[in-house]
Amino acid sequence: MDHIEFSLTQSLDHCIKCNVCTSACPVAAVTDKFPGPKYVGPQAQRFRHAGQPVPDNSVDYCSGCRVCNEVCPTGVKIVELNARARAQIVAERGMPLRNRIIARAGVVGRLSCGPHAPLVNAGLSIPPLRWVIEQIMQIHRAAPLPSASSYTFRSWFKKHQPPVGARKQVVYYHGCSTQYYEPHVGKAAVAVLERNGYEVIIPTQGCCGLPLLSNGDFAAAKGRHMYNVESLLPYVRRGIPVVGTSTSCTLTLKEEAPELLGLHNQDVRAVAAGTYDIFEFLRNLYDAGDLDTNFRPIQRELPYHPPCQLRAHRIGMPVLDILGLVPGLRLNESHAACCGIAGTYGLKKEKYQIGMDVGAKLFAFVQAANSDLALCDSETCRWQISHGTGVATKHPIEILAQAYGL
Amino acid sequence: MNYDTIVIGAGIAGMLAAIGRAEAGERVLSLSKGHGATHWAAGCLDLFDIGAGDPLAEIESLIAVHPDHPYALVGVDAVQAGAGRLRAACEAGGYPLVGSLRRNLQMPTAVGALRTTCLVPATMAAGDARQLPRSGDGSGPLLIAGFHELRDFFPPLVAANLCALGFAAEGVYLQVPPTERTLDFGTVSFARLFDRPTFRADVGRQLRQLVQRGRYSRIGMPAVLGLDNATQVVSDLQAAAGALIFEIPTLPASVPGMRLYRALETALQRVGGRIQIGAFVRHAEGRGNRLEAIYSEAAAREQRHAAARYVLATGGIAGGGVRADHAGNLVETALGLPLRTPNARADWFAARFLNETGHPVFRTGVAADASLRPLDAAGQVIYENVAVAGSALAGCDPIREGALEGIAAATGWKAGQL
Repeated sequence: MDHIEFSLTQSLDHCIKCNVCTSACPVAAVTDKFPGPKYVGPQAQRFRHAGQPVPDNSVDYCSGCRVCNEVCPTGVKIVELNARARAQIVAERGMPLRNRIIARAGVVGRLSCGPHAPLVNAGLSIPPLRWVIEQIMQIHRAAPLPSASSYTFRSWFKKHQPPVGARKQVVYYHGCSTQYYEPHVGKAAVAVLERNGYEVIIPTQGCCGLPLLSNGDFAAAKGRHMYNVESLLPYVRRGIPVVGTSTSCTLTLKEEAPELLGLHNQDVRAVAAGTYDIFEFLRNLYDAGDLDTNFRPIQRELPYHPPCQLRAHRIGMPVLDILGLVPGLRLNESHAACCGIAGTYGLKKEKYQIGMDVGAKLFAFVQAANSDLALCDSETCRWQISHGTGVATKHPIEILAQAYGL
Repeated sequence: MNYDTIVIGAGIAGMLAAIGRAEAGERVLSLSKGHGATHWAAGCLDLFDIGAGDPLAEIESLIAVHPDHPYALVGVDAVQAGAGRLRAACEAGGYPLVGSLRRNLQMPTAVGALRTTCLVPATMAAGDARQLPRSGDGSGPLLIAGFHELRDFFPPLVAANLCALGFAAEGVYLQVPPTERTLDFGTVSFARLFDRPTFRADVGRQLRQLVQRGRYSRIGMPAVLGLDNATQVVSDLQAAAGALIFEIPTLPASVPGMRLYRALETALQRVGGRIQIGAFVRHAEGRGNRLEAIYSEAAAREQRHAAARYVLATGGIAGGGVRADHAGNLVETALGLPLRTPNARADWFAARFLNETGHPVFRTGVAADASLRPLDAAGQVIYENVAVAGSALAGCDPIREGALEGIAAATGWKAGQL
């Protein structure tokens, strides 16, 4: 057991039972089904042993939002304990078909995306069909499913003309959502990076594996992670940074996959250390004096939700730092713990309402802002916010591209 | 991103320092490992425990004989100003603190003892021991009311111990009004329920019946009477019950402590301060006698933060600002500053666990000058752009002295003005 592994498994001994985590947990605040991070994390962990039955299933109601880790005054790795406990349940009892499917975001995306996407999207907006899906698949009929794109991001990029004379290189990790649902986010990211003098490289890549991790299929997640490590490693070794627009994908590459799966070899560490959230990367450029700050004014005041998966990077609010440089633009931070979707959590029939109740505070904030647009870094959170409020959502990189006049 | 000031620690000391600097127009970042100090404490302001006397007068005498005490470093004016700023932040949040720095209060605890403090939220005011009914004085007895479902608050125990102190008190359990919550009740879940008008109306009706039957003039309840709107909750309950109601602090998570934190958080955000929780500052980079940067733990690599000035308000041994390692060394966790501490491990503790004068190890902290700048063993300033505030300072034993929040407010306020 290396020291990272040791610090994770032994961190429960740092718990002083102060209940700060439970008092901040957005899920425990709205449902009895989840007794709170302290109970299912450091306390229940003492009763979980390899080869013995798992004593309690309530850990499955942990959404993995990481607010408990954020507020814990003594540094207990509660979310990691919970995710591993769920994986133990899955290993013992198997995984429901529904979870097998929604955990494979890449496969679902590939099947939905393409010229037939309008048909898929239209089908998924027919209430009786959603009812059938709910009956068969246990995916809630009202849950916010994304609209598939009629073309993939990579197909666009293949035809994209890179600027001549770029002297620096950067790898863009687009993830499944940009590839199959929101190519426009990737286009904005490429435009912003090219504007700052970068040649954007897009190597082969697969799903980061987070939906598999959060649904407890660690074996499949390990395969995904090692595939990405192998693909990204040559670039990282040459000192080329990897940036992503999905905060949860980049968090998975940086930390979640290595920690949860106990993968700490040199290659995994190198990729983790070379991966950046795109605004974190842009902020580093700014700090080094290398960011193009020639922005057009944008006279707008917009609500902004820093998603829990961004806060879990523990890098502050790089979006507020960078978009704060755009003249006239004012972002109002939500101060809400979580939107409730937590990746695939809020799609599930038995958890949909919990997700909506968790998000209620954020929805009220967005609606009170009286804006026709809200910003959020994470895709599933954007879909949930739009679902809960009827307000359109964008990735902040799209606004930055706009500020560059791109 | 460059900040004018970075404050490490988000307890009362750190938040008041951050507010002060932000009010002066600086760009301020508050970094903290998690929630802590405020959420663990009673949500009152303890100034100095001399029983029911004048704590400010006591501090004046203390300053004369202990020039190294944090109160002496910042002076009585800072004590008054710090407490005043804390009051103003709470007042602005519709959650006023009451009391006088010239007169301590003695308040019932969750085990029915009396605890000395100085300022309390208005929701606790009617628990002032001087006003509580004594046995045989003819007034109606005090009622302590709680819920079976709330762990660690036992009304009969509270009442019995108050009776042993000469008060007239009775304990009773109330019925939890119908709610969709059935399984787990903690302090915060109760507080959220009390924020709902229907829930507190039901509790109010139960209290009214008890008051009519038992002639109670005051009712003590666990400090779970609302998180967002406690003042209104207590006022509604009083109107319904026809008796004065006061809160008694509970074990953590402390709802009054959370309200206090929220008031400070709102005050800081209002003046443009940035708050980053989950940022555990682990080491620092200095050049000469200036601190250049600090590093906080983050996913995959540390985050570097730079500012012109820094405030260290990470707390003492209890708060996590000071740690003992396995080799018996005490270390300051964020900047690695030298500590003023007992010489050897054998000197950490007095022989008796409940020693009258406490244990020397709890006086461990960073020595500082009148500008709160950290000093080395020779008395030289280590970093001229760092101020140390709160329990991280040497020369005090804040919990034992009953001065935890007073020291935090005075030194935190001062650090915000320098």
